[in-house]
Amino acid sequence: MTGYQHLLLFGSVTVAACSLFVYFWPRILLVVYKRAILVKGFGEGPIPVNTLYTEPQAVFADPLRAAPASGSSLITTGVNRDTLLMVGWLDLSKGPQVLHVPDMGGRYYSVQLTDPSNNTNFAYVGKRVTGTEAGDYLISGPDWTGSAPQGMTRISSPNNSVLVVGRTLVESDADISVAYALSKQILLAPLGG
Amino acid sequence: MTSRTYTYLTALIGVICGYVIVRSVLFADSLTVRNDLVQGFLVGAGLGVVAVEILSRIKATRINGWVTVFGCGLPGSDIFTRAACARIFPGPVNVPQEAMYWKTGHGVGHTLSGEHDYILHFPPGGLPPNDAFWSLTMADAKEHFVANPIDRYSVGDRSGLAQNPDGSVDIYLQNAAPADHQANWLPAPAGRFILWLRVYMPGAAILNGEFTVPPVVEARPRR
Repeated sequence: MTGYQHLLLFGSVTVAACSLFVYFWPRILLVVYKRAILVKGFGEGPIPVNTLYTEPQAVFADPLRAAPASGSSLITTGVNRDTLLMVGWLDLSKGPQVLHVPDMGGRYYSVQLTDPSNNTNFAYVGKRVTGTEAGDYLISGPDWTGSAPQGMTRISSPNNSVLVVGRTLVESDADISVAYALSKQILLAPLGG
Repeated sequence: MTSRTYTYLTALIGVICGYVIVRSVLFADSLTVRNDLVQGFLVGAGLGVVAVEILSRIKATRINGWVTVFGCGLPGSDIFTRAACARIFPGPVNVPQEAMYWKTGHGVGHTLSGEHDYILHFPPGGLPPNDAFWSLTMADAKEHFVANPIDRYSVGDRSGLAQNPDGSVDIYLQNAAPADHQANWLPAPAGRFILWLRVYMPGAAILNGEFTVPPVVEARPRR
């Protein structure tokens, strides 16, 4: 090979690696979240797949002193003293999941459904998009061919893996327990389970 | 990792990659195919880090010392916007219609420190428009909440901010409690800090770019 050909090969590999890094950067980032949820947990052990975990009341009330010593600090690090956080990781390859939300009584909340392959949000359930009434939402993967039971709204996910991030507004310190009780009623269950 | 450390690291990677490229141009005859592939991959990955940093600066909107990115989290967004969002807001952030975020730091504006006192002045009727809530949160340089005597980590629409007689709102960002303005005090650490402004279900004026976050202005220096 001539020096020119070596340079061409080197340059092509460089450009390809650089592009791949930029393309996969959002996905690499969310691998940290996947690990935090399914492997490390948030002080009370790992969160099973297809389960929504709500941040404990005590941690929200006193984030500096009540932060759990073990587990990931991802949901206790940072900047949110406004909403109770919920997190979960879905695996839809074995069938759809049903997201149940209670009547939130006008309170701001959202359940954000994120495609971890590119960190974009393909759907929301919550005050802005679906209102605050009680409801059941069928979250199905790309390969599922069934139809949603009556009374359920179907949400099609482009990916069998889904990162779920939920937020329930806390109005005041006195309101934490009310918001927490509502958050705990936002549930995931397998279809027909 | 602070924003400044990251910038230095990025610059260092850039220099190393540049060195390898120049060297391979000068000594092209001594190269093997294996070297081409290995060095190309490593240099490319390094340049990827640099590219993400450059993209984040291109895609970011910087006004009054605050940085934000429009269009994060949207399914149709291009790979450059996605990379920039993942760099500036490293996490599963909301789509703009659900929430907009601004933060200080990231190479814009002056570095904020509890050694000084600051005021954030919202003009009359100029609080962030929204249909859910807004919040201004204080964090130390590592983006953790700041311990303080009144356990206040953020102020916002639910914190009982007092208005000035003309309807404007001043938020006092300082380490020591301000005399007569306790309700509008957001306690700062002794050292460096950053601020986050978050607006959920932001109003049209935010989404179309009409709303600008006012600057954080240093108050009369303390003696």
